[in-house]
Amino acid sequence: MSSAAIVDETKVESNTTAETVVSVQGLVKVFKDFWGRPKAHAVNNVSFEVRRGEVFGLLGPNGSGKSTTVKLLLGLLNPTRGHIEVFGHSTRHVATKRRIGYLPEESYLYRYLDSAETLDFFGSLFDLTSDERRQRAEQLLEMVGLDKVRRRTVGEFSKGMQRRIGLAQALINDPDLIILDEPTSGLDPIGCREVKDLIIELARRGKTVILSSHLLADVEDVCDRVVIYYGGKIQAIGTLKELLSTPDRLRITTPVLGRETLEKVLNIIRTDLNKGAEDVLVDSPTQNLESYFLDVVRKARSSAKETSGATSGGNVAEYLRSSSGEPAKKDRILERLSSSKPVAEQVEPAPVQKETKEEISKRLQTLLNKTEPAAPAQEPAAPTVENKKDMSKANEKLSGLLGKKEK
Amino acid sequence: MKPIYAIAKLTVKSAFRFKIVALLAVFLVLAVSALPLLLKDDGTARGFVQILLTYSLGLTVTTLALSTLWLSCSLLAKDIEDCRIQMLVVKPVSRWKIWLGKWLGVMTINALLLAIAGGVILGLLQYRSAKLNEKQKHVLQNEIFVARGSAKEAPVDLTQDVENIFQQKMTEGSTQGEVDKAQLKKQIREMLKYQYQLVPEGHMRVWNIPLGMAAHTLKDKPLYLKTKFIAMSHTSTFEDTRSFPMMWEVGPMNSPQSWRTVIMMTPNVSQEIEVPPNLIDEKGYVQVRFINDQDDTFFFDMNDGLEILYRQGGFFINYVKGLSILFCWLGLLAAVGLSASSFLSFPVAAFFAAFVLILGLSTGTMTQVIEEGGVTGVDHETGKIEKQTTLDHVSVVIFKGLKNVTDIVRGFSPVELLSSGRTVTWGMMFRAVLQVVVVMGGLFAALGMYCFTRRELALVKGGQG
Repeated sequence: MSSAAIVDETKVESNTTAETVVSVQGLVKVFKDFWGRPKAHAVNNVSFEVRRGEVFGLLGPNGSGKSTTVKLLLGLLNPTRGHIEVFGHSTRHVATKRRIGYLPEESYLYRYLDSAETLDFFGSLFDLTSDERRQRAEQLLEMVGLDKVRRRTVGEFSKGMQRRIGLAQALINDPDLIILDEPTSGLDPIGCREVKDLIIELARRGKTVILSSHLLADVEDVCDRVVIYYGGKIQAIGTLKELLSTPDRLRITTPVLGRETLEKVLNIIRTDLNKGAEDVLVDSPTQNLESYFLDVVRKARSSAKETSGATSGGNVAEYLRSSSGEPAKKDRILERLSSSKPVAEQVEPAPVQKETKEEISKRLQTLLNKTEPAAPAQEPAAPTVENKKDMSKANEKLSGLLGKKEK
Repeated sequence: MKPIYAIAKLTVKSAFRFKIVALLAVFLVLAVSALPLLLKDDGTARGFVQILLTYSLGLTVTTLALSTLWLSCSLLAKDIEDCRIQMLVVKPVSRWKIWLGKWLGVMTINALLLAIAGGVILGLLQYRSAKLNEKQKHVLQNEIFVARGSAKEAPVDLTQDVENIFQQKMTEGSTQGEVDKAQLKKQIREMLKYQYQLVPEGHMRVWNIPLGMAAHTLKDKPLYLKTKFIAMSHTSTFEDTRSFPMMWEVGPMNSPQSWRTVIMMTPNVSQEIEVPPNLIDEKGYVQVRFINDQDDTFFFDMNDGLEILYRQGGFFINYVKGLSILFCWLGLLAAVGLSASSFLSFPVAAFFAAFVLILGLSTGTMTQVIEEGGVTGVDHETGKIEKQTTLDHVSVVIFKGLKNVTDIVRGFSPVELLSSGRTVTWGMMFRAVLQVVVVMGGLFAALGMYCFTRRELALVKGGQG
């Protein structure tokens, strides 16, 4: 992690080019006991901004202040000190909540309502007409894979199914800001992938997403920027690129090379680096477990007929797609997930630019021609399958920063 | 309005899904049906109405009052404790609308249950009345299954008489030493009032009762004298069952149209006498005379001694208006329960709401404390506290304040009016809505909405990750 990524807590990032959706300034939340004595400093002098279209991650171990921050943003708690604005208004501004969708960390839904009734009820709170509510409920239930169990009450749902219906209710109003607290908790790998893809899809259409999660891989997959909490304070904030890139290392990905060519390249590199073979690694890319699992399920689904639980999600709800006027590139999430291509190639985090084969060859040629030690690349390599393989390394780095990884 | 309606609908739905409505409905139907079987009436119309209307309706209201308090306390408090409320307050719905939606939901449930219980009671009344004999059926149709207006003699102004006697006493010098003039006047007034209410042997008492606008609508319709008296020679007898032949005259004095009857009557019991129609004079007054030809003195209270009842309307509308007033009471209790749960946890809120209910029913105690001047021991001769302590002063101030508040909502007794066949007036109904629901319910609602709006709803549970 670059040292620049370690934040000065009082310094607020500023970006005048994008609309600020959430602004948090000097936020402090002290929980008090019955007698009004301070019990815990849950959030301590936190400042950050979230801009339109960003997927912003809140990361930290238990008790670090993530959920408290989320609840402060939603007006469920009052700040002890500091200032919060959401869309330029106080968190208690009722009309602003029309633009917010919220998925809490646990299912706080009414257990005696079925899926369709749940969505209809929450739609009513947004003054949607009955036609709108019905249409959106249909699309959302299909999207989260609950259209086959729409008449089962939420109380009968598994945890994963409750997350799905929770996510659907968070999107019933086509929100501009979506706050998701542990959105993949309890979901199967397909569900996790669907949720992550949905987040990316929403962000691509100009929605702002604030994501609080313990799962580092989730955060890494979808977030543009993250803030890392510990002890109620921000320990680090920045883009994933800023936090995760290692400027003194370089990875080259090529098609399979002949032994002679490979030896030549290695010799050049060793000569150039003036080091032994132990510092240069050559291996073949492998598919990660997630994409392998999805491939197995895709094949199984082609022969299996029915399941009593949730099915894979379908189309992104039409009203969510049409909000930006941009046509959806991939209609069926399932198809995209289950394609034989490595998952990482399908998911394209916005700030990372993908390099073409020509560009990679050109860079390789440049490296080969150089006599000076290679400078760190300006941009990290495109997320490839090899990147996924290194996810564990990234996790290790973040875990080192956070302490023990949460369950 | 849509969010309020949605929350109210959800509240009703939850009560149905958790089978609260079904359970209460079955209980009420069984209770009001079984009560007349358990309590035997005396075979008279009044006796069976007493059981069916007074006891059954009383049981219904008590059950609904308790269920309302429990439901309203649990609805909001449980939603807060289980964090479900977070899903509502993050939506574009003001918190006062959430509060109001829940109140409306509770009141919808109450309306349904009250309608069911009220319908069963009405059905049983009709069914059982068919088994009465003809005489009792006549009583039932004319004195109970009816909405009757009431007229009493105008209050007697004794001021001039008091002043005359006071001046006479001062002039005669019949008072000795320093005299508290106000106390003396009070004593004179009490004495005159007492004398005014007595009808000694061989005397006649005349009541001139104005019927006002109702006089025009009572042509060819009977009137009912409702009277209650004390036989002064029997005041110390607890079980006085002796009856007296009482002579009554109704109509203009010395007129051939005047109607006279002698009827056996029992002291200390309210009794009704049916009076033939068309005895109202052209000014709209009815003159009633009691001629005491017995060897006893009778006492007719100025307020309850005699009144005239007359038909104003049918029973059904009256019954519905009576139930509406009971519904207003339930509205107040729902507001109390929801307000308590707006800032308290469920058990504490339930305790608080029950305390408020008991306080509302303790006006007798409050009145006693105010009259005695405190809560410490009273002097048995004077009935007052000799030396008031600070505790007495404070308690009197608190009880006066509480009584002023509870007085706003007291004075609406529809069950008593219905069982005596009296009209529950539209005025009374609107006053009940205004005083019980709007004023008192509004006060509790304002308190509850304020607390609920200020409350940090994520403090109860949930990780602070």
